[in-house]
Order: sequence, then C-alpha cells, then structure tokens
Amino acid sequence: MAFELICPAGTPAALRAAVDAGADAVYCGFRDETNARNFPGLNFSREELGEAVRYAHARDRKVFVAINTYPTAGNLAPWHKAVDDAARLGADAVILADLGLLDYAARKHPSLRLHLSVQASAANAEAVTLFRDAFGVQRVVLPRVLTVADIKGLTAETGVEVEVFVFGGLCPMAEGRCSLSSYATGLSPNKQGVCSPASHVRYEPRGNELISRLGDFTINVFGADEPAGYPTLCKGRFAAQGADAGYLFEEPTSLNALQLLPELKKAGVHALKIEGRQRGKAYIASVVQTYRKALDAFERNGKVPNVDLDAVVEGARETAGAYQKSWR
Amino acid sequence: MLAGVALRAAARLGDGVTAPVLDRVLRTLASRHRRAFEAMAEMREAAVLIDPVDQPVAFLLSVGPQPRLRVAAKDAPADAGIRGPLVNLMDLLEGRIDGDALFFRRTLSIEGDTALVVGLRNALDGEDIDLVADLAGLAGPFRLAVPRLRREAARLTGMLEGARALLLAPVMGRLDALERRIATPAPAPRSSRPGREI
Repeated sequence: MAFELICPAGTPAALRAAVDAGADAVYCGFRDETNARNFPGLNFSREELGEAVRYAHARDRKVFVAINTYPTAGNLAPWHKAVDDAARLGADAVILADLGLLDYAARKHPSLRLHLSVQASAANAEAVTLFRDAFGVQRVVLPRVLTVADIKGLTAETGVEVEVFVFGGLCPMAEGRCSLSSYATGLSPNKQGVCSPASHVRYEPRGNELISRLGDFTINVFGADEPAGYPTLCKGRFAAQGADAGYLFEEPTSLNALQLLPELKKAGVHALKIEGRQRGKAYIASVVQTYRKALDAFERNGKVPNVDLDAVVEGARETAGAYQKSWR
Repeated sequence: MLAGVALRAAARLGDGVTAPVLDRVLRTLASRHRRAFEAMAEMREAAVLIDPVDQPVAFLLSVGPQPRLRVAAKDAPADAGIRGPLVNLMDLLEGRIDGDALFFRRTLSIEGDTALVVGLRNALDGEDIDLVADLAGLAGPFRLAVPRLRREAARLTGMLEGARALLLAPVMGRLDALERRIATPAPAPRSSRPGREI
C-alpha cells in the first residue's frame, strides 16, 4: 500500500495549498491553547475548519485535527469542546495526547478515529499497546528519536498504524514532557501550546551579528553570514565547562528522511508526516509538491529521486535524524 | 519594478498626497481580505515599520481597531520592524515565499515585538493576496485588463527588451564612434562595426 502523505496547515490558505499540492491528509488545530502550535494569527476558527473539511473532502482528502496539549486541571471544557466540534465538523481523525482526553473522545465519539500525538511520546511497543487497548487508538505518531529498526520492531509488535515525521523541524526531547521553554518563559508548550512563545522572543542586530533572546536568556548569536534558526532553547548555543559556546542539544538543522523511503516501507510505516504548521503557505506548497512527486516516483519504480529543499529549511542543512543514528 | 518607482515617487511627495491613496489601498484590501483585516483589528494598537532596505522610504503600518498605512522615514519609531529587499517583502505579502526561509537566510530581519510580527505575518499569509488583481479596482476601466497584463508581463518584458536592443543597436554604434572621435585627437575613420550588444 502506498504511503499516506500527511501535511501541515496553520491557516485555511495553507490547507488549500497542501491539498492542491498533493497531500493525502492535512492536520491543523483550533485557534486556542488546545493545540501545540498556539501562535499569534495561526490556526482555524470553527467556521474555517468546517470550510476546510468541505474543501478537502470534495477532493477526496482528509483533515485531522490536533488537540494535542494537556488540559489544565479543573478547566477541561475547552479541550472537550474541541473534540466535540472536530467530530461535529466532520474531521477524519483527532490527534490527541492526554489520557483523560483520549478517554473522553473514545466514550463520547466512538466512531471518531483516534490518532496518538507525538506529544504523548509513546516510543515503545508497551506504551502504544496500552493506548490501543485502552482507547482504541488506530494510529501513533512516533517521536523523532527512534531508529528505523526500532520502528520496525514496534510496528510488528503492536499492529497499530505508524506515522513518522519525514521533513521539517526536529525535536530531540521527550515530546510532551519538555520544560525548557516553560523554564525560560513561564508558558508551556505542553499546556498552553507555545514552545518559545513569540511574546518572549527578541531579535537584536549587533553590527552584522544577530542576537536571539528568549525571556531573560540570550540563546544564540549568529555571525554575519551564518544561517539563523528558531529561537528555541534546545537550538541555543551554550558554553559548558569552560568550552566555547556550541550546540549542546541540537543544531539548527532540518529533518529530511526522503532517501529512507525504502527502509521505512520495509519497517511497515503507514504514513509520512511533514512538520511545520507555523510555516507559510509557500513553504507548504513547495515541500508537499516535492514530496508528492518523490512518493509517486517511488511507488512507480521503487527509486527515490534526489531533491533539493535546502533553501527553505532551518539552518540550510538537512539530516536523516535519529532514523540512522550511530550513537547512543 | 513599478513598486520601486512608486516608492521613489512617494519619497518626494508629502503625507497630504500619499495618505489618501494609502487609505484607499487599505480599504480595498480590507474589503477583499476580511480574515486578515479582522485579525489585524483584534491586535493591540501598535505600529510596525516595514522597511524595504533598497528603497528611500519605509511604511508604517498601524494595527488595532483602525488599521492605517503611511509612508514613513526609515528610522520612524515603531513597536516592531521588518526589513528586507522590496522584492522579497512583496513576495512575502503575496505569499509567494516563506518568511521563515527568508529569516533563516538572513534576507529578512525583524526587530522589536516578535509576537506582533508573527501575528501580522500569519494574518497576511492566511490570505491569497494578489496586489495587482486586488488593486485593479482602483484603476477603473483597466480592472479587467490588469490580470491579463500581469500574466503576459514576462512575455511583454521580453518583447520590449528585444525591441529596445534592435532600436538602440544603431544608436549605440554611432555613440561608440562619437566617443572614439572625441577621445582621439586626429579624425577617426568611420566605424563599420555593429553596435554592441546591450
């Protein structure tokens, strides 16, 4: 069976761009703290989601709604309403992370397809089996820390559809549990949906250098001709034990696992995900179109074409990430 | 190119001339891109300096309940600033290029209130803005012709360049000869070589 291509959309225009460029499904979120890309001006109103679902369904494509932050104790209503509205508006699946919310969705909307968000950080067969048996989860989005061999083992053991990230930002952390941004800003990616909230980010030119700050922390200084990156602490440069400042957690580099399509196919992967709901529609159209062509070519003759997407990625560099890691 | 000419002209004109035009431009865009302008109206009152670094003037966009656009000095005080070459800013406005990619490449720089810039970028990127088509209404009877002109722009430009080269070739040949005559004390022989390629 052919890979399903899952693409991001932060706005209705981006959703149309993704569908028109060849996405099999588009994932998006509501304009509030119920999703992990709760950025200014981004995401969908209820009316817009309804229109988006109609647009996608008219072209035989799907819409998944990410409701993948963790509800605040004592204030479950926004998350419950998000699940109810996604079901009412005809979403093809909801992407959830929280145990309580999965339980709510499974009981209240038994016919609604449940996908486990990467925010749940389910990285082994035991965890995935639990979500499958307890809530009827039909697909898991795997964290970006597993090797292809890990994925193959997990797929065989659980029988759950597996979706993996193939392009875009990398996250080397235990997703859904990372507190770096919370520490620096007081706002949580996991509860308020804001990793490095723009309200706490500042860019300051200093001569030809560019300084990026998050909250009270200077997290990077980019040289005159050095490509810049996102202002996240995990991609900051830090000096440790007297050494020069360097990337301790992660370099500003983008994931591109296109050349691993044959291995991912053999590992039993069902769907390929492109990261970037915060990116503009031009980026979405370009990346989705490139991946669509590559996937079609791969399905036709088993060969993966070479593509160049360096111009649009963070750090202007690409990596196959942990899929091929040789370190521990 | 036209935008650059317009900006250079705007630099010479006062607010009394440019303000009514910009008000009309903004009203026209607001009527065609309701979602973006509603988002801008919901923002706190703030000013964003949009600075095409290769042009003599900048723009000050005020967001909040009553969005407003004005020609401004490049050092006009603002809550946030977006700087980049005009062509890239135009591409960004019309959604032809991704702002993050421009930022990564350091073609675009931002300063000040990052949330304001991100909110504005997302509001505009959520629209399918096409300045020529959007503002064609301002040109009255030319409304229908403008989109076609845009589609044909590349071909027309090529034709104009070709025509320019043909027309100028003999003139350039004569100019070359004239230059040589001026530069040479003794009378120079008439040039028989064809005009240089331009």
